[in-house]
Amino acid sequence: MRAGDVAVLGIGSTTFGRHGGTPIVELAARAAADALRDAGVDRQEVGALYLGNFISGPLNGQEVLAGMVADRLGLPNIPCTKVEGACASGGIAFRHAVLAIATGQCDVALVVGAETMTHAGTAEVTAALNCAMDNASDGASGLTFPGLFGMAWRVHAARYGTTRRQVSAVVRKNKRNGLLNPLAQMGAELSDEVIEQSLMISDPLQLYDCCPVSDGAAALVLVRRDRARGSGRLPIEVLASVQTRGASRIAGHSDLASFEATVSAASRAYAMGGIGPKDVDLCELHDCFSIAEVVDSEDLGLVPRGEGAAWAAEGRTAVNGEIAINPSGGLLAKGHPVGATGVSQIYEAVLQLRGQHANQVKDAEIAMTHNLGGTGVACTVSLLRRGQA
Amino acid sequence: MRCAACGTIDPGPRTLCPHCLSDRLEAAELPGEGRLVSWTMIRRAPSRFRSEQPYAVCVVELEDGLRVTGRLRGASEELPGAMLHAVERGEGYMVFEA
Repeated sequence: MRAGDVAVLGIGSTTFGRHGGTPIVELAARAAADALRDAGVDRQEVGALYLGNFISGPLNGQEVLAGMVADRLGLPNIPCTKVEGACASGGIAFRHAVLAIATGQCDVALVVGAETMTHAGTAEVTAALNCAMDNASDGASGLTFPGLFGMAWRVHAARYGTTRRQVSAVVRKNKRNGLLNPLAQMGAELSDEVIEQSLMISDPLQLYDCCPVSDGAAALVLVRRDRARGSGRLPIEVLASVQTRGASRIAGHSDLASFEATVSAASRAYAMGGIGPKDVDLCELHDCFSIAEVVDSEDLGLVPRGEGAAWAAEGRTAVNGEIAINPSGGLLAKGHPVGATGVSQIYEAVLQLRGQHANQVKDAEIAMTHNLGGTGVACTVSLLRRGQA
Repeated sequence: MRCAACGTIDPGPRTLCPHCLSDRLEAAELPGEGRLVSWTMIRRAPSRFRSEQPYAVCVVELEDGLRVTGRLRGASEELPGAMLHAVERGEGYMVFEA
């Protein structure tokens, strides 16, 4: 694909949080209907649907969501595809829709991401999330996802001197950003003391270092760039959309304080978009845990290696900082309905590039999104640019 | 595991050699000594391990450079780099002690 061939024309999202047993397909259809209205696109023009979801099978006993959502929306008899890549499912769905348009398969594509989790008990959710692990080795050892990031934290702290208080700054920033985001599940003004006295989950990771369990759905309408002309809407151009893989077992990573899938996706995205990290005005990245934001921001080249937590503590990743990271509140505050997250990140980035975000980054022109799945086995990085109507 | 075709050593379990894709994988003893890469204490375990919590998991780099996931017995504030030795070999993971 060439940079800018595909544009995001419409966006839609439910709130993230508790949806009281609303079926996943209904949440997904509502977000998608909002995106179609926002784009001003006739549903008969939609040529493909890609839906990101991770654990509707184990938690809802419901699959074939892509076709079900199309049915709810009254779409034509188009190809409808569910994709799964653990927490990166939404980002992968987006990339497939971009490819479908860039390769001429269709002019309009619908991307949906959806998950419902809050109806299930903690043990059931933990077991379902552990489907994202190689259960022949990592799973058998008793490892959990907080465990993976607890280990990453220890390596980061030992190598770079990262402190608990610096990491708390990531939590405070994202929770505070979430306060203004009307879709966010857990915005809050937190003190360092509250964060650092919270329940220990997987040392040194504590309760407030972890994202909540969430329900939610988000959707996007993508079009061929020239199709956006005369639409009366500001097109947001896709400069790059890259997907990579990393080791499927935690012991396969040569460095626990870095994910090779993120590093390679970022470098390919910069090359594809013809820009560098300094051109990025804001980034919605995969902060499933506070320390994940630290590692991701370094892997993406947005922050010098080893300084991710220090930059947060110094306010350099705030909405008005040198590089705004997770102005939406991120997964930590907005929530993490797993399959919806990658789509929701694009939703937030589009609002920023339209100049309509509640935590608006001044003069935002280029946004990055980063979605990471499993123990780093799947990753997507996308770059978006504000176009001209 | 050791590949009879190319000699690759891998912690497994798997049925194809990750290097040459041969299916001639044989049981092989991995080195019993290694250095701690990192560890954490799991205090909220998945349901199947609930009765064992809290327990420590770790990543260890064995003498030959191979990395494995394991359990760490008697975990304290060991820093990454501490020498460990294997005391048990489970299916898919090893158990280490300092």
